[in-house]
Formats: sequence, C-alpha cells, structure tokens
Amino acid sequence: MTEMVRKSSGDEILNHWVLAVSCILLIISGYGFLFQTEAIGSLFGGFNTMKTVHNWVGVVFILSLLFSMRHSFKDALEYDEDDRQWFKVAGGYLSHKVKVPPMGKYNPGQKLYYLAILGAGIAIALSGFAIWLVQGNQTLILISHLVHNVSFCIFIIAVPVHIYLSTLANPGTFQIMVNGTLPLEVAKKRYPKWMKAAGKM
Amino acid sequence: MANDNTKNRKAILVTPEVCIGCRACQVACKSWNQLPGIKTKNNGTYQNPPDLASAAFNIIRYSEVPSEKNPVRWLFVSRRCMHCDDAGCMKICPAPGALYRTKEGAVAFDRDKCIGCKLCVNACPFDVPRYDADGKVTKCHLCFDRIGAGMQPACVKTCPTGALRFGDRAELVSTAKKDGFGTIYGEEDLGGLGTVYAFKEEPKLYGMTDDPAIPSSVVFWHTVLKPFAVAGLGGVVAAAAIHYLAVGPHKEEEEV
Ligand code: HEM
Ligand code: SF4
Ligand code: SF4
Ligand code: SF4
Repeated sequence: MTEMVRKSSGDEILNHWVLAVSCILLIISGYGFLFQTEAIGSLFGGFNTMKTVHNWVGVVFILSLLFSMRHSFKDALEYDEDDRQWFKVAGGYLSHKVKVPPMGKYNPGQKLYYLAILGAGIAIALSGFAIWLVQGNQTLILISHLVHNVSFCIFIIAVPVHIYLSTLANPGTFQIMVNGTLPLEVAKKRYPKWMKAAGKM
Repeated sequence: MANDNTKNRKAILVTPEVCIGCRACQVACKSWNQLPGIKTKNNGTYQNPPDLASAAFNIIRYSEVPSEKNPVRWLFVSRRCMHCDDAGCMKICPAPGALYRTKEGAVAFDRDKCIGCKLCVNACPFDVPRYDADGKVTKCHLCFDRIGAGMQPACVKTCPTGALRFGDRAELVSTAKKDGFGTIYGEEDLGGLGTVYAFKEEPKLYGMTDDPAIPSSVVFWHTVLKPFAVAGLGGVVAAAAIHYLAVGPHKEEEEV
C-alpha cells in the first residue's frame, strides 16, 4: 500500500469548501447584478432573493476567509531564494522541460494567490457591507461600489485560474481538498523542502 | 447618447418665472399617486416638505435672493426627476426592469423588481430617488400611466399659470426659445433632460446644479470595469484551454 502524507487537516478542508462554495455563489450572483442577467436571477428565484442570498453568503464568505488565515497566512508571507528562482521559470507551468527549483509546502504562485484573495476578499466584503448597510453617505457608497467591482475583477480572473491549476492542470491535486492526503512519493517530488523539514526525506 | 425615442420624446417644460409657488402640483401628484401626507416642522421657509421624499415626488424649491427693489426676491422652481436621457440611476441599477424607459422617454420604476440596494440615489446627478418604508425606490415617473393613455401628467394639468407644460420635447424647447428664454436648462445635459427649464437669468440663482454629470466613478465602472470583467473571464478560460492543449497537465515523471 502506498504511504500517504497529510497536507491538509480536516478543518482546513471543510473551511476551504465553505469558502469555495460561498465565493462561487457570490461570483455568480454578483455577475448577475453586474450585467442584469435575467437567467442568473431566475436561478436564485428572482433578483430580490438573489440580493438576500448575495448579502448573507457574503457574511459566510468573509468569516470563512478570515478563518483560513489560521492555515495559510503564515506560509504566504515567507519567501526564500528558491521562490525567487521559481518566477524565472514561471513555476514550470509554461513548459515541462524547465528545471523547477525545489519547493516547500506551497509555491510562491500559490502564496501570492492567497494574499490576493485575502486582500481582495477583505476589500470586497467591507465595500459590500457598506453598500448593504450604509445610507446617506454618497462618497462612501460610490467608493465602495468602485472597490467592490475592482475586487470583483480580481476574483473573476484569479479564481478560474486557481480552479484550473488545482484540477485539470495538476492531476492528483484535487484529492487534497477531498481527503487531505497525497502519496509520499508524489509529495517528495513536489514539495521536497517540506518533506525534508518533516523528516520524511 | 440619444435614445431611440428622441424623435417623439415627451418632456415637461418648467418656467420658474411664471410659477407663483401655489404648490398645486405637489398636491396633484400626491392625489394621483395616492401618497400620504408627511409631518414636517416649520424651518423658517414656506418650502414644504423640505426635500423630495418617498411621499413627495415633486416639490417647489423656494429661494430667497437679495434684490435692489424689494427687501428680498422670492424664487420658485419645481424640483422632480429629470428623466435624463443618459440616466445614472438606470446605469447603476443591478436589477433588470426596476428602472425602465417608457416609449415617451420617461424613466419609470417597477417597485416589485427593485431590490432596494439604494445604489441609484448615489448615481443620480440630481439626488432624486427616494425609498419607501420597505426600502423600495420611488420618484416622479412622469405620470407614465397617464401620458400612456393620452392624458397630461397630474402636476401639469393642475398648474394654473403654465409654469409646468407637457408635450413634445423638441416643440417645448423651441417655443421657449422663441418666447425669449435665453437659457434652456437641460437641453443638452446628460443627453438631454426630460424635464427642461426655461430661464432668463442664471439657473444657479434658482438653485439649479451647474453642469450636472453622472459621478465619474460610475462612468469608469460602466465603460471600463464591466467590459474588463467579461474580457478577463473570457481571457483566463481561453488561456486555460490553450495551456491544456499546448502544454498539457503536469506529469510527475518529467520531474528531475
Ligand atoms: C462580504 C461579502 C459581500 C457583500 C456583503 C456583498 C454585498 C453586495 C451588495 C450589497 C451589492 C449591491 C447589490 C445588492 O444589494 O445585492 C453587491 C453587488 C455585487 N457584488 Fe457583492 N458582496 C460581497 C461579496 C462579493 C463577492 C465575493 C463578489 C465576487 C467575487 C461580489 C460581487 C458583486 C458584484 C459583481 C456585484 C454587482 C456590481 C454592482 O452592481 O455593484 N460580491 N454586493
Ligand atoms: S434625475 Fe436622477 S432619478 Fe431621474 S432619470 Fe436622471 S438619474 Fe434617474
Ligand atoms: S434601489 Fe432599486 S431601483 Fe435603485 S438601483 Fe437598487 S434595485 Fe435599482
Ligand atoms: S409627472 Fe406625475 S409623478 Fe411626476 S411630479 Fe408630476 S404628478 Fe408627480
């Protein structure tokens, strides 16, 4: 039997699903508002319900995003020389021929993605709450409307890339979000520095 | 940004000079739209209610300005939705059909379709939309129900002096010019307003907004961010597909 290593804990996986589902619901309903898309409105049972869903799923989303800092924030702030080299070969994403420097648990692309989502997520949530709850402050609402939509542009570009890279582009990765583990042999190849630090290599 | 209705576009022409401040228009609007009275306080002016409200689609703004002949000059001007051709409220609204254009060129609203997000008031250059107790949009709708049936708007019908006139927009504007009104407020602003004002003096004297415009952030959002969001989504999906075909999924064996 292949020996497995655990990359994600149970609460991390659960939280990731809450974050992913809420985020996608928000993107879909937000897109429906942005373009007044009747079909998306009907999906939610009308625009009135969609607004209620969008607002409250937003609450779930931000709580889940803040909780994710517990698992991902510290890693996302640490970069070393290999990480810098990683950018020179574009993480090996553009060609399988290049030699990618040895990586830790997460590569710098993933770490920066996390920070982008964290930043844009906090911005979209704060601005969303302002649009939802504040009245009679035109400057604040107009700024919030702009911030909400700029962050939306970040999400609508970053999230599909993340989904592609963690499914089709890297077979076996999706499994980590299901049971949290991957075979030791694979882990040694993909995350040698992490495996060394864990004493498995 | 002329809309398709520009040719037969209807409008209200306000001529503040002949307004006597009787506020029959306020009463007629309330009566036609079955709006309740509003309790207000005396705040030192006859202007009442003090501002547009969910139960006040139009008000007469009273301004007192210095005058040489008299102790003070009293100016009256009717304030209501301008039925902008390029309407900020419609642009920002996220709910389809909540604000819509009638064939006469009016900007009307559908209470049931409004989701009460209150974005429209912030994008209106004239601070017009208001919200009722349920948080739904309300404002002057140019009596779309009356004009659609060939009648005049209630406020116009009741006006005893001709300070409010309703009709073909182009005709109203040209008549006002012939009558010697040098400034037609709203003739060109925002693609042309559906409430136009005939002035002989500076509109500012009457408290009219100089160069009304949709907030620049809303224009930027509409013309840049919205197309960018679509292009961005399309771009990354296409890039992923190309990557999958050209580079293909990651294979463990290739790693050194
Ligand atoms: C705490 C989180 C959030 C809150 C409280 C929130 C709230 C709002 C509110 C109040 C609106 C105005 C329309 C309405 O009332 O429904 C709105 C619109 C919108 N939201 Fe959110 N939202 C949140 C998160 C998100 C996220 C995560 C996305 C996408 C990734 C998003 C995308 C959009 C878009 C595209 C619109 C329509 C654009 C517009 O018309 O302003 N929102 N949101
Ligand atoms: S005046 Fe304001 S509410 Fe009326 S059409 Fe123009 S933007 Fe909309
Ligand atoms: S409050 Fe209603 S009419 Fe105004 S922008 Fe929101 S949904 Fe549209
Ligand atoms: S046109 Fe109709 S809704 Fe508008 S102010 Fe006059 S009476 Fe009221």
